Amino acid sequence: MPKKAQTAMSRSDSAVSVRGVTKTFSQWQRDNSKKNILKNLLKPEKRAITALDGVSFEIAKGEFVAYAGPNGAGKSTTMKLLSGMLLPTAGEISVLGMSPQKQRRAIMKRLGVLFGNRTELWWDHPVIQSFEWKKVVWDIPDDLYRENLAMVTDLLDIGGLLKSFARELSLGQRMRADLAMLLLHSPTLILLDEPTLGLDVMAKRRMIGFLKRLNEQNGTTIVVTSHDMDDLEEMARRILLISRGKIAFDGGFSDLRRELHCVKKAVIHFNDASRKELEYQDTNRLLRQLAQLDNVADVSFTQTSLEEGLANLFAAWNQENTERLPPAPAP
Amino acid sequence: MADRITPRRILRLLAVSAKMDLAWLLRDTKYALIGMLGELVNNAATVSGTFLIASRFGGIGGMSADEVLFMMAYSTLNTGLFILFGSGNNIHISRIIGRGQLDHSFIQPLPLSVQLSTGGFSPFTGGSNLIAGAALTVFSVSRLQIPVTPGWVAALIVYQIVTLAIIAARSYLVSAIAFYAPAAAEEISSTVIEGSWFLSTFPLSGMPAYMQFPLLTLLPEGLMAWFPALSLLGKPPLNLTAYYPIAFALLLSLIARAVFKKGLKYYAQKGSNRYVPFGFRR
Repeated sequence: MPKKAQTAMSRSDSAVSVRGVTKTFSQWQRDNSKKNILKNLLKPEKRAITALDGVSFEIAKGEFVAYAGPNGAGKSTTMKLLSGMLLPTAGEISVLGMSPQKQRRAIMKRLGVLFGNRTELWWDHPVIQSFEWKKVVWDIPDDLYRENLAMVTDLLDIGGLLKSFARELSLGQRMRADLAMLLLHSPTLILLDEPTLGLDVMAKRRMIGFLKRLNEQNGTTIVVTSHDMDDLEEMARRILLISRGKIAFDGGFSDLRRELHCVKKAVIHFNDASRKELEYQDTNRLLRQLAQLDNVADVSFTQTSLEEGLANLFAAWNQENTERLPPAPAP
Repeated sequence: MADRITPRRILRLLAVSAKMDLAWLLRDTKYALIGMLGELVNNAATVSGTFLIASRFGGIGGMSADEVLFMMAYSTLNTGLFILFGSGNNIHISRIIGRGQLDHSFIQPLPLSVQLSTGGFSPFTGGSNLIAGAALTVFSVSRLQIPVTPGWVAALIVYQIVTLAIIAARSYLVSAIAFYAPAAAEEISSTVIEGSWFLSTFPLSGMPAYMQFPLLTLLPEGLMAWFPALSLLGKPPLNLTAYYPIAFALLLSLIARAVFKKGLKYYAQKGSNRYVPFGFRR
């Protein structure tokens, strides 16, 4: 699968620039056999894990980018590198024109980070107390704080949650409160790692709607990871697909569908209870084919979901031990 | 550009911690008061146990009962300071490292040192031992009839800061292990600080020098109350200079800083494969 050509982007247009970034970890290997007790003690076995392998990509200001891949592909590692929690083994990272490793504090004034399985709220305090704490720590001017508090209270519908203790909120409420807190300092770039994790349908819809509005109306750059491809497709306009530490695809969702050979099918149900499936690309041609058929009782249409296509792809990657899709013809 | 850390900014950070501490106290007043009372009883038991022995036997190892009481007052005052500034696991730093919670610090636009020195400030829930220590100090000083001059008060404040610095430096030095073994070393700071706490309130006068020296160097429990109390009484032990605790604190702090920075670098390179939300931001 072809990667999108790396377009030259001026420094002022770039929100995120990742060039040739490699990140390796070492993992202790242990077994429970008696004969290896001494070996484990004196010379434990280590295994090198390459979480990211020469990854390069650019994200322009105002983009809404999905960062997807199977478990262990390197998504969270990338998020941690971008937010300065980790140092890369090799390569260069620039966030909002600054180095996360050298200018962490300056970046954090303009960056918002949220990990879906963690909270930044103070557990034993009402939500508003956490917000006031953030105002002091981020040194948010009074006017901006009031304006943003009013905005997030309205758009995320958290007016009823402000006086509640964080520990008493449901997961969906907590995520909304966390997202609201994230926005209080008007970040120009937001990194969200699995923000819809564990949310029910209603909470998910609300969060997706809010993020889309934030991107479209405020021009906030958003990078989001999720396992839910439908969510990602609804939110983002571009997808970076990572597998085994390498960028396997970079482009739009329709391109990805094409590359994954997500097929459209017409299922024809006949009067004698038999059925037939027709794969098609050209709708007019399909209609002509259908018109020639007799004894048709019903016709239904299906399409391979992106999720299904990717599941097949990930399974193929695992099976074939390959790291990328085979080259496809240029569009 | 990152904003400058001014004294005003530090005061605002301390103020927000104090405000949250007060809010916590007023919200769960009953439990907060029980906790404070428990701390007081615990400290009073340690102090009174040693003091009663000293009273019964007319002093311990050459220290009079009132001198022992002054030493206990010093220790209580220091415990109060420790709780006042260290209520957010910022001194028990191995808990934050071991639980993978440093990530929360990295996303704040503040230097780590500022976060850790202001984040645990609890003047309302953590002030009981400080008040008790101050009262005990006044009482014991009046019994000893020490001339309390501004210079003596300044020396008391400096010794208190030095003792707190030694506690924090020792904790940070040992807690660096948690960077490499997060699960195993999560509680190592409490083991180091509290494991030998009893020794720190024991009058070491009268013990042989071969036992006193290790307790002023390798396991510096003698610097927690005994040495500074005797120095404030004008008789630093073992013919050492009264500045010895300051020099020791400085050296230990420098070593702890270097070791901790190395551990922090390891953390930034390797990350933490462990995350436990427990105890994070009560």
